[in-house]
Amino acid sequence: MILFVDTLLVLMILSAFLLLGSSRLGACIRFVAFQGFLVGLFPLVVGTHGPSLRVVIIALVIVASKGIAFPVLLSRALRESQTNREVQPFVGYGLSLLFGLVSLVISFQLDKRLGLPPHYSSDLVVPVSFFMMMGGLFLIVARKTAVNQVIGYLVLENGISVFGLALVRDIPVLIEMGVLMDVFVAVLVMGIAIYRINREFDHIDSDRLNQLKG
Amino acid sequence: MMKMAFLLPLTLFFPLLLGAASLFLRSPKASLIFCSIGTVLTAILSGISACWVFRNGPLSAAGGWFYLDAFSAYHLLVMVVVYSLSALYGIGYFGHEIKEHRFTGKTARRYTGLWFGSLGALVLALISNNLGLLWVGIESTTLLTAFLICIHPTPGALEAMWKYLLMCSVGMAIAFTGTLLVAASAGGTLLKGTDVLLLTELRTVLPSLNPMLLKAGFLFLVVGYGTKAGLAPLHNWLPDAHSQAPAPVSAVFSGFLLSAAGYGIFRCLPLIEGATGDSGWGRGILIAFGLLSLLTAAVFLVGQKDIKRLLAYSSVEHMGIITLGFGLGGIGVWAALLHTLSHSLGKSVSFFCAGRLGQIYGSHEIKKLNGIIKSSPLWGGGLVTGLLALIGVAPFVLFFTEFYLLKAAVDAHKYMVAGLFLFCLCVVFVGISRPLISMAWKPCESEALPAKGSLLTGALVYLPLALLFLLGFWLPSPLNNVILQAAHLLTGVTP
Repeated sequence: MILFVDTLLVLMILSAFLLLGSSRLGACIRFVAFQGFLVGLFPLVVGTHGPSLRVVIIALVIVASKGIAFPVLLSRALRESQTNREVQPFVGYGLSLLFGLVSLVISFQLDKRLGLPPHYSSDLVVPVSFFMMMGGLFLIVARKTAVNQVIGYLVLENGISVFGLALVRDIPVLIEMGVLMDVFVAVLVMGIAIYRINREFDHIDSDRLNQLKG
Repeated sequence: MMKMAFLLPLTLFFPLLLGAASLFLRSPKASLIFCSIGTVLTAILSGISACWVFRNGPLSAAGGWFYLDAFSAYHLLVMVVVYSLSALYGIGYFGHEIKEHRFTGKTARRYTGLWFGSLGALVLALISNNLGLLWVGIESTTLLTAFLICIHPTPGALEAMWKYLLMCSVGMAIAFTGTLLVAASAGGTLLKGTDVLLLTELRTVLPSLNPMLLKAGFLFLVVGYGTKAGLAPLHNWLPDAHSQAPAPVSAVFSGFLLSAAGYGIFRCLPLIEGATGDSGWGRGILIAFGLLSLLTAAVFLVGQKDIKRLLAYSSVEHMGIITLGFGLGGIGVWAALLHTLSHSLGKSVSFFCAGRLGQIYGSHEIKKLNGIIKSSPLWGGGLVTGLLALIGVAPFVLFFTEFYLLKAAVDAHKYMVAGLFLFCLCVVFVGISRPLISMAWKPCESEALPAKGSLLTGALVYLPLALLFLLGFWLPSPLNNVILQAAHLLTGVTP
């Protein structure tokens, strides 16, 4: 099982690096879909004894939303806006990758420092979740297009999901569903917002939304 | 106790049902009236539960997942008062826009549906004993109110909505991490299953919680909920959202949404203080955030050009004051609770008046709002009085709560805090009085339309203001008891 878990986690790291390094928005959406899919598989493999019905349902819902529904929604928003790449991000792609490397190292250090209670699945879980959270926040700050910011938010959420699965085993289904639904609605609302911003302004660059200040 | 427990789920589902029902209404006028009546009915329902709690002690339902004690009941009361006032005011405010065909039946249905939705979500946040459910409630309000900001999709409103959505969603994600960490801190205790998220259960095992994880969790909660509560330096979305939203929505935003997010933080304060043996670690963080918010607000209030932005920054200031009060502890908690009520009333009324003045003058720019008392005694007078109350002029109750806060700081021998607090209050006082004087007495250049006000609108503005004035002289003992009960839950000592 540990081999499975570690494979999934390493793939998550890879997908985060792909997101940090690519400028084509269509590709970014596919990478984040892949990552969502991995996060959906994660609860199936971390359990000590085989997956229960509850876990299977949660996994299915995560795969359906993060792996399929969100990417479809984002692609649609992207098609409407007729933008296909992030031309000039605040932080260039080379530097973004460097940030990824640094934050990966920091995540491992942080995990050592915090001394969280030992978890049963893999030593990689907590550092990888920290890494994804940092990467998500970085994407939100360093990218200009609204679509990329939503992708950053999704990466952040993925990190938190993994963190939650590693740390707290007994989060009740109801709460988990509530959280998932909130994330779902959040992305939906953001999608609609992008659509409207595009209709009103003819672009989806959030740095040009700068009329309100002071 | 079991007999009354049904009240809690009822208070939660009632507004949600109303929200669903409101989608079948055709005319915008009917929607607005339905919205007001429904909100007032919800208020009555919540009032009954709250009064019961104040008399007989906490209510609990749904296997301990819902739990209403004096602290949450007090916040519930403040919330329904703000919502009722704003819903009633909405009739007049949007009535004006109906005539201009800017507020159609479709817009009205969306507005009412989201209005009741956000009301239900806030009720959920306040009555939940489960930290996860509390999070779900507060996060839902973010999503539901996002569209309330851009009822009229102007470029400014869309920009404000995007900032609000993104910043608050990230904040909420961080708050969720905090919730997870708090749950994880109970890993070494006897609590099983879902109990690790229940506040009442966590309170019973305080000494055996893992302090390291709890501290990390509290930090995440403060940053996460603090984003939504408008604490500096995470407040950037606030002035935009509050200034671009229609006035009734701004009133609800400033009047209670901020306090609701603050509630999420303050609820967890006894946990962290109890587990760290009253070392004051958690309180110290709140003091720091409170002072920083006060300072930031003071800087941005001076020279502010837009009246609604001015009011929004004043909300940052008052949230800072409230956070500071909880951080100081002792009598500070009592003052902070009274301040929550007073600020909610004062700020809602000020937004009401600013909104209508904006409609009359066609602008929210302070430069253009001249001679407001003369051209529109009802709204102009209300705004001037409201602002005076908000900057803490003597007979209003906010003066006394701020005074007691100062006393709390001095009592705790935190003279630096007291000094900084006083300095910020002075800057805010000067920063708001200058535009206040020019708006009130500078002669009006253009001929403004005289605003007609009915008895109802007059009461909406002047009753809360009169209450703020009265409370300054005389705090009725039932209200004082309620606040003492709520403060007791937070400090653990009988004042």
